[in-house]
Amino acid sequence: MENSTARALATTVGRRSFLKMAAVASVFGATSGFASGNVTRAATDAEVKNPFPGSKKVKTICTSCSVGCGVIAEVQNGVWVRQEVAQDHPISLGGHCCKGADMIDMVKSEVRLKYPMVKENGQWKRLSWDDALNRIATKLAELKKNDGADSVQFLGSAKMSNEQAYYFRKFAAFFGTNNTDHQARI
Amino acid sequence: MTNSLGDIQKSKAIIIFGSNPAVNHPVGFQHFLKAKERNNAQIIVIDPRFTKTAAKADIYAQIRPGTDIPFMYGMLNIIFKNGWEDKEYTDARVFGMDKIREEAAKWTPEVVADVTGVPAEKLIQITNIYAKNRPGTLIWAMGLTQHTIGTSNTRMAPILQLALGNMGKAGGGTNILRGHDNVQGATDMGCLSDSLPGYYGLAEGSWKYFAKQWGVDYEYLVAQFKDASWMTKTGFSLARWWAGVQNVKTDEKIENAGTFLKALIVMGNGITSVAQQAKIKEGLDNLDLLVLADPFVNEAAILTDKKDNVFILPAATQFETSGYVVATNRSAQWRYKVVEPLYESKPDQEIMFELAKRLGFYEQYTKGMLMVETPEGKLAMKDKKAFTWPEDATDEIARIIKTIGLTGWTAERIKKHTDNWHMFDEVTGAGMGPMKGEFYGLPWPCWTKTHGGSPNLYDTSIPVSQGGMGFRNNFGLEKDGVNLLAEKGSFPKGSKIETGHAEVTKANIEAVLGITLTEAEKAAMGANWKVDNSNLIVQKCMEAGVCPYGNAKARAIVWNFPDHIPMHREPLHSPRTDLVAKYPAYADKANHFRVMTKYISVQSAKDYAKEFPINMVTGRLVTMNGAGIENRASKYIAALTPEMFCNIHPDLAHTHGIKNGAMMWVHSPEGTKIKVKAKYSLSVLPDMVFMPFHFAGYFQGTDRTGNFPAGTKPYASGESVNTVTNYGYDIITQIPETKGGLCRIEKA
Repeated sequence: MENSTARALATTVGRRSFLKMAAVASVFGATSGFASGNVTRAATDAEVKNPFPGSKKVKTICTSCSVGCGVIAEVQNGVWVRQEVAQDHPISLGGHCCKGADMIDMVKSEVRLKYPMVKENGQWKRLSWDDALNRIATKLAELKKNDGADSVQFLGSAKMSNEQAYYFRKFAAFFGTNNTDHQARI
Repeated sequence: MTNSLGDIQKSKAIIIFGSNPAVNHPVGFQHFLKAKERNNAQIIVIDPRFTKTAAKADIYAQIRPGTDIPFMYGMLNIIFKNGWEDKEYTDARVFGMDKIREEAAKWTPEVVADVTGVPAEKLIQITNIYAKNRPGTLIWAMGLTQHTIGTSNTRMAPILQLALGNMGKAGGGTNILRGHDNVQGATDMGCLSDSLPGYYGLAEGSWKYFAKQWGVDYEYLVAQFKDASWMTKTGFSLARWWAGVQNVKTDEKIENAGTFLKALIVMGNGITSVAQQAKIKEGLDNLDLLVLADPFVNEAAILTDKKDNVFILPAATQFETSGYVVATNRSAQWRYKVVEPLYESKPDQEIMFELAKRLGFYEQYTKGMLMVETPEGKLAMKDKKAFTWPEDATDEIARIIKTIGLTGWTAERIKKHTDNWHMFDEVTGAGMGPMKGEFYGLPWPCWTKTHGGSPNLYDTSIPVSQGGMGFRNNFGLEKDGVNLLAEKGSFPKGSKIETGHAEVTKANIEAVLGITLTEAEKAAMGANWKVDNSNLIVQKCMEAGVCPYGNAKARAIVWNFPDHIPMHREPLHSPRTDLVAKYPAYADKANHFRVMTKYISVQSAKDYAKEFPINMVTGRLVTMNGAGIENRASKYIAALTPEMFCNIHPDLAHTHGIKNGAMMWVHSPEGTKIKVKAKYSLSVLPDMVFMPFHFAGYFQGTDRTGNFPAGTKPYASGESVNTVTNYGYDIITQIPETKGGLCRIEKA
């Protein structure tokens, strides 16, 4: 544990360089189709200064903890290319912890769940949203009819926005049960 | 949080119970350190573990888990003995402090030392520092709440603050550091089995209010439930839903409308980080239907052996949708969408809407977004056919949730605050330039569409229009002949009423405010400020400088709780068996969130300490949050803490032949076990271990990560410590007792 952590720390660079690396990685990802042979060259000063021409900066809020740090997300052609701290945010004052500095990976992680799946006979199978929602809704309706709405438990999230959390509670009310809760309980 | 992180910079002393902000809220912690720079604020840390926050403290007390009440009574004992309490304050603004004084008299420093393990001299020294450096702020987190007596703990801390006159003061207050980014907001929104949104509760009147605001008949809602009686009954909680599932082995009776739980629908909830994992697994295994919607695979999907009808749905991240979140200080911030949902992922609301369509209630469910209040106190439809998400939902919430003053939280205003976050002072949160007169994020209560928010709760030194208020009148006007309202002379600055008063209703408004209503106003006005669609009551109160919820005393005595004042009770699994008889657990409680929950029968079953002599504490790491999947799905973060581990004192490890970096077993009194890597640490005493709660994927020594669908396995996996956290739940909230359990260890 200690050894592997030390190794990781030794090979991992500072936060800023790490963000730049993440950005570079995404550029390679986008251009790898053309990358054959000696096609790389040194970046020009203009490119170093503004590596993502035409990008826009979006103010948003970290999802890690309740402090509510500001995040500046840089988006180019619909792709989140770079993340920066919010120097002028009145709570975070330009600070980020290691989790906050890595918010971009919430979106870009390669191990995201990419499409709906269902387990059948112990095997995971891909299915369409329509199929998944139809099957879930059919089962819920059947349970409500035969066993009552209280045969269903809903668990929402402290990671939802207020609008979503409110609509989650409202969903349980319209379904017909108070069996609904979230992480504030723990 | 009564105050804010920035406000802590005004504190002269900071006392922290069961919270580790240096690790868990690292960016917020800079405000603590600034308090030290600005005021030479004394930082006092009370924690079983020498945390990184403790390392920054001026004074640290290593307390035995679950003994915070004796510690605080010990402080009060010294405070009362020396006359350091703020008598003028408690006489005017607190009910029942005399009973606290009686109980505190029993907790001399010597008695406290025996129970808590903190030497008497240290308690005296800490009390001296804290009482003499005011205003002092009191911080807590889950180290204080996750106990069978968690609710009593959370009452004890404000009582200590009240005694010192620290409540309702800049630099004071009780400041609870929330965990997830929107725990405050999601709780306000009533994502709970014991309340509708906005803490309106589950009473019939509340349901009728919501039915009206949602634009449906009350009878329509009743028809969805088994019968009306089940609308007013608390549902199962996150902590114990599993007890309601068919075929789960338990002798704890459930009361769930005559049915077992057969389906579980989870959206964004890491249930692999909840106590009693073995029982949770049993619950999952026996469901008919399991639906898990998350950006990453919820590890419940790989924990269960269930072979069919497990659906995993790709939910979009919070950066692929928009809406507002509420920070730990009750401030709203607009979280702008960064990119469109990747792959096939869908935002949570779309998943809910799609299910509602298929279940036949989409029109009714979403109608509230198209409704508005009129000045005549009526509800009307907006002049448009389709709603805009999330803004129409934001405004629906602002329209309906009046209990905590969300009237001013319109989408337009919240966005303006986030757009202008550079225009606010970091300490006071006060706005400048175009934001003048408003506090950052409009901390609730934000009474009207022009009110600037309330930065510090219960502060009477400023007018209500600028965020001032007394304590809430919520429990009647008197109790046993004692006045429950604030005494004469205690009122928010500029108030027309210079004494305590009841909450304002249509029936009493003319008498309380000394005004005469017109007939039109009377016709428009709702029954009370919480259900008044005309908002006239609040408006009239603002004009009079009066807080709509009244001006009352804070209650030190809560006559509707099992312990009227906070009482020490030993954890269910106490290492001090000798103290259990003197400080026993509660009687077992039937139908506690629909399931019988055990207290004394578990505590008295056997002398656990003989076989399980080691205290077990759990907590967070700086690299992760919650169940950890989001962070373990990042290869950079995962590399920093790649493995589950157990902090163990070298002396303890040595007696069990466990070398640093070697594997060890941790066994619980419930018969469960986990296999983890030993990590020597002097932050724990030789009679305790510490483990983080962010790992999952392994279960009782077996690797279950082969169950992940291809390409979705996170970069780090490990045992969930909650497989071995002990049985035990709070008597009011049912929060699990994960911060005061016992275990046995052995070399693996």
